[in-house]
Amino acid sequence: MYTYEGEDVFVIDGHTHMWDATEENIKHEGGEQFIQCFYDYHTGFTPEDRQRDIDDYRKFTPQEMKEDLFTNHVDMAVYQPTHLHEFYTEGFNTVDDLGQTLYQDHPDRFVLNGRWDPRDGEAGLKELERQKDEYDVKGAKVYTAEWKGDSKGWRLDSEESYEFLEKCVELGIENIHPHKGPTIRPLNKDAFDVGDVDDAATNFPELNFIVEHVGLPRLDDFCWIATQEPNVYGGIAVAAPMALGRPKKFEEIMAELLFWLGEDRITFGSDYGIWDPDWLIEAIMDLEFSEETVEEFGVEFDLETKKKVMGENIAELYDIDIEERKEQFRDDAISQEFGLGDTYSAPASADD
Amino acid sequence: MSATPADVRARLDRVTDPELDESIVDLDYVDRIDIDETSVTVHFTLPTAWCSPAFAWMMATDARDELESLPDVETAAVYLRDHMHETEINEGVNERQSFEESFPDADGEVASVRATLDDKARLSRQYAAVEALLDAGVSPEQLCELTPADVDIESAPRREGARASVYLADGAFAVTVDARPLDRYLCKARAVDAVTGDDDRLFRTPEGDPIDPDAFELVHQRGRLAQTNMTGQGGVCDALNESRRRKLNRDSPTVVDAD
Repeated sequence: MYTYEGEDVFVIDGHTHMWDATEENIKHEGGEQFIQCFYDYHTGFTPEDRQRDIDDYRKFTPQEMKEDLFTNHVDMAVYQPTHLHEFYTEGFNTVDDLGQTLYQDHPDRFVLNGRWDPRDGEAGLKELERQKDEYDVKGAKVYTAEWKGDSKGWRLDSEESYEFLEKCVELGIENIHPHKGPTIRPLNKDAFDVGDVDDAATNFPELNFIVEHVGLPRLDDFCWIATQEPNVYGGIAVAAPMALGRPKKFEEIMAELLFWLGEDRITFGSDYGIWDPDWLIEAIMDLEFSEETVEEFGVEFDLETKKKVMGENIAELYDIDIEERKEQFRDDAISQEFGLGDTYSAPASADD
Repeated sequence: MSATPADVRARLDRVTDPELDESIVDLDYVDRIDIDETSVTVHFTLPTAWCSPAFAWMMATDARDELESLPDVETAAVYLRDHMHETEINEGVNERQSFEESFPDADGEVASVRATLDDKARLSRQYAAVEALLDAGVSPEQLCELTPADVDIESAPRREGARASVYLADGAFAVTVDARPLDRYLCKARAVDAVTGDDDRLFRTPEGDPIDPDAFELVHQRGRLAQTNMTGQGGVCDALNESRRRKLNRDSPTVVDAD
């Protein structure tokens, strides 16, 4: 477990993947462009001595994922599947990729999220039931710009989508994570527009909507919606790496989020494997707001706030009892494998 | 006579990335400019192969139109490189097709996307202009009342050190500020018809209405948010652009003047 200035910081990485973008798995040029784009994100922000080669980057195995997360300050991770079957023969990063491997072995270290797509209709609803039965998923990642046949995206506030949201309520899949990122296809109709979260959040007050990537480049639309919808949260994956390379920008974004949403509705995510979590966590924990920011926005980014962002807020969403987990992690298989047990022990007193 | 490289760059400088409201020249998207008597050819690359085709389309057509408005340029050709839709965009733009003709599976039109982004740019520029005036001691109540008639911007407002005067209390006195933020705001506000007449209210809510002084603070905070959004995304695009530049071995922008 990560400690900062002598205090425990329990880190739940809210946005992780284990993908396969090897050449054998790519079936459409979009698949190659997609991973190349990720790689540009990787090299654009990762400190030079921590950058991977593109070949290393095409695929992450369960063993690598386990090591890359848990030896790099992360205590628990939320897995966010991204299927992209139009681009990748076996899918890019599927529910079962984790479900059949790491999650099976270490269910207490991972939150495994499901995934649905309203264009799958009846079969999609059945599949969602299977994910619930098999893995007891409590959340789902939805990718509104995913391609399917002639369709280049869908909306969260459509009638078909509401059928799935109703199903989520029925099954107890309470946390919906819409991916809202940079504008890509489909063309002029913006499939990453965050406007569709607004109505969905109003109509499904029993669900939480954790908007991944805080809507960037629609942070303004996102914050405005979130001020009106108490069940809307912001996941800072993709904004987070700016903490190291462009700290002033990161500070502004965090200050806006704290101003409009407050400290209880912001969740950390590294977006592993785009980035390894350690340097991101260190950069965020080390970041201090300038006096001007504190004065202008009237918000603080102190240790208590950072602890909420790094883990406590997402623990709340997924009913994770942090103290109980810490006790459990003193001698679980992961701690044994990587020699982490001591970090979960009660802090030594000053006299020792 | 052919256009000079400086003329061409100055025109391209007016073309903005609609999402970031920054010049494509400053953003380093332009790879190469070829000037051959009365024709100009521009090659450019965006930060990812996935950048919105609608945005790419806007930049390419804006560049073409800006260049062709130069007196010594008869034709301009614009080529986007390393983009998943470069074929459709390059053919469409240079053969003067409409966006809908080039992308038959697109829904709706480009104009409404542009309008949405222009509005965000207006709000972000308003924030910068209002900040400059607040710093100069203008009160929120006074800001809500201002009209374009109260503003006197020096000629050549882009010049370093250019000033603007803002007249208050029925012209009883004026404050002077840096001309650039006010000029940038007014250009965009006029372009999107948020401000038309000289007696219109100068500053507006995100919805385009005059600002009630009681709501001034909230409107100003939303302006700040629009600016944070644009510059924050600018930080992402900037990092991606640097990575691509290295990976694709793109040279620094070059201008090739055939004469």
